[in-house]
Amino acid sequence: MDPILEIKGLSKAFGGLKALVDFALRVHQRELIGIIGPNGAGKTTIFNLITGFIRADSGEVWFKGEKITNLKPFQIVNRGMSRTFQLVDIFKEMTALENVMIPCYSHRATNQRHRGRKPWKVAMEFLDEMGLGHRYDEPAKNLAFGELRLLDIARAMATEPDILLLDEPFSGLDVEDATVLSKAIQRMHEKGQTMIIIEHRLRDLLKLVERVVAIVFGEKIAEGTPEEILNDEKVVNAYFGERRE
Amino acid sequence: MANLEDLYGPRVLYKRLLGLLILCGGVLLAPIVFNDLYYLELLFLCHYYVILACSWDLLTGFTGNVNFGHAFFIGGAGFSGALLNLHVGWGPWLTLPIGGLIAALCGLLVGSFTLRLRGPYFAAVTFCFATLLYKWIMIRYEIFGGEEGLHGVDSLMEATLGNYYVSGILMLIVVFFLYFLSKSSFGLILRSVGENEIASEGSGINTTFYKIVAFMISAFIAGVAGAMYGHVQMHVGPEMAHDSLSVLVLIMAVVGGMGTIIGPIIGAYLLTLVNESLRFMGEFRLLIYSSAVVVVILFAPKGLLDLITRGLHRVLGQGK
Repeated sequence: MDPILEIKGLSKAFGGLKALVDFALRVHQRELIGIIGPNGAGKTTIFNLITGFIRADSGEVWFKGEKITNLKPFQIVNRGMSRTFQLVDIFKEMTALENVMIPCYSHRATNQRHRGRKPWKVAMEFLDEMGLGHRYDEPAKNLAFGELRLLDIARAMATEPDILLLDEPFSGLDVEDATVLSKAIQRMHEKGQTMIIIEHRLRDLLKLVERVVAIVFGEKIAEGTPEEILNDEKVVNAYFGERRE
Repeated sequence: MANLEDLYGPRVLYKRLLGLLILCGGVLLAPIVFNDLYYLELLFLCHYYVILACSWDLLTGFTGNVNFGHAFFIGGAGFSGALLNLHVGWGPWLTLPIGGLIAALCGLLVGSFTLRLRGPYFAAVTFCFATLLYKWIMIRYEIFGGEEGLHGVDSLMEATLGNYYVSGILMLIVVFFLYFLSKSSFGLILRSVGENEIASEGSGINTTFYKIVAFMISAFIAGVAGAMYGHVQMHVGPEMAHDSLSVLVLIMAVVGGMGTIIGPIIGAYLLTLVNESLRFMGEFRLLIYSSAVVVVILFAPKGLLDLITRGLHRVLGQGK
């Protein structure tokens, strides 16, 4: 089966700093993939490159058989790739419902199955899905941090993405919030949602994903199942330092 | 669960309509109370500034892209209308919409170059265009009349009362249109651009397109108002393209409350009337007027509308 997303030789340097070097990845439909790496390893750069927020120096991104390397962010969203943001500074002055209504006005959402349905009703369904239905009229600035994470996922999901990219969804969450989020991700996965999750907190991530890619200093050092990754010497070294003889 | 139709459905629009009907009543009945040429002309000025401040608010108040050169559209359309009237002989009913269209096209031109960028470029460029137009008017005096401007433009209506009503009706149309536009999906998207353009784009919204369209609408309305002003005064002058007019419009919107459409109405009426009522103060007028503006901005940074709504909430016991 052809991959839904194929990244070939993607590279990006910021001045002298090589943020990403020759990165390649194939993602198939319904897969749930994790990208791990210490802080500053270049994880968010990967998302920024494939979603069009920054331009790659070299390499190509193919999505559903189309090259999307030089498209603008909104064009990529409208082709079916949506992302969340690490720093969830979404539309703070708007209510939770309005936050999710915005993507309902995107070209993709209005042309797809939302056609003819009231955007606030569609948005409400996505809020309910994330367990935020009761907070619909609350300005986003009054929501708790964990709720904001869920709200950002609801916002990204409202564009009906074929692939969803989650940027460090667990960072800053306490155990309780992390459990709620894990369950939400599992539910989406069971419904067949293709996802890539970036995370540096391994514990929450490795329980969820099927395949893991580890990167350090912009380079892929390992790829495999969670068990394989946990036993990979290079990964262990990157996280805990080299073993003393 | 609360009824979403009540919050976002058409019914909520009827409730809002009620508030605007009060403004309609005021505009229609004011000449009965103030049946005096001086007051009618003063109220005409209020209408004019309300149109300018509200149109400015659509782009800047909602998306945060500061337009420092609204006078570019006001003066540009004012002079276009006057020249078409004087040389081609077209009447106000043609020059008003054509002035607006010319302004909208200028908005498209300026906006397509600058509104794709984030940062201060848009503010700087709008400021420059207005300054360029002002200088051009001064330099090419054989076309624009220089400091004197152009005289002998056809009057909009025969009588002052006619001018009052035409400007009043135009103001009401603009206010209704902009208010309901701001409450529509278009307005919500503009607000999202103002709050976080990256997240808006990440939600699949072509933010540049929305900003340019808002800028064109804003320019069109300012253009119509500029052309109307020229016909009412039967004269257009370089001050219509001067920076001080851009700043005045900006201050009116800020004092009233940006991003609300209703706030700029309050700001425009208030500042026009206060400025006029301070005339007896002579040389102290500007000092008092400016100090008052500074005080309002200091104590009500979100504008007078915000102050009024919070006050009402407190009185009615609905405050949060």
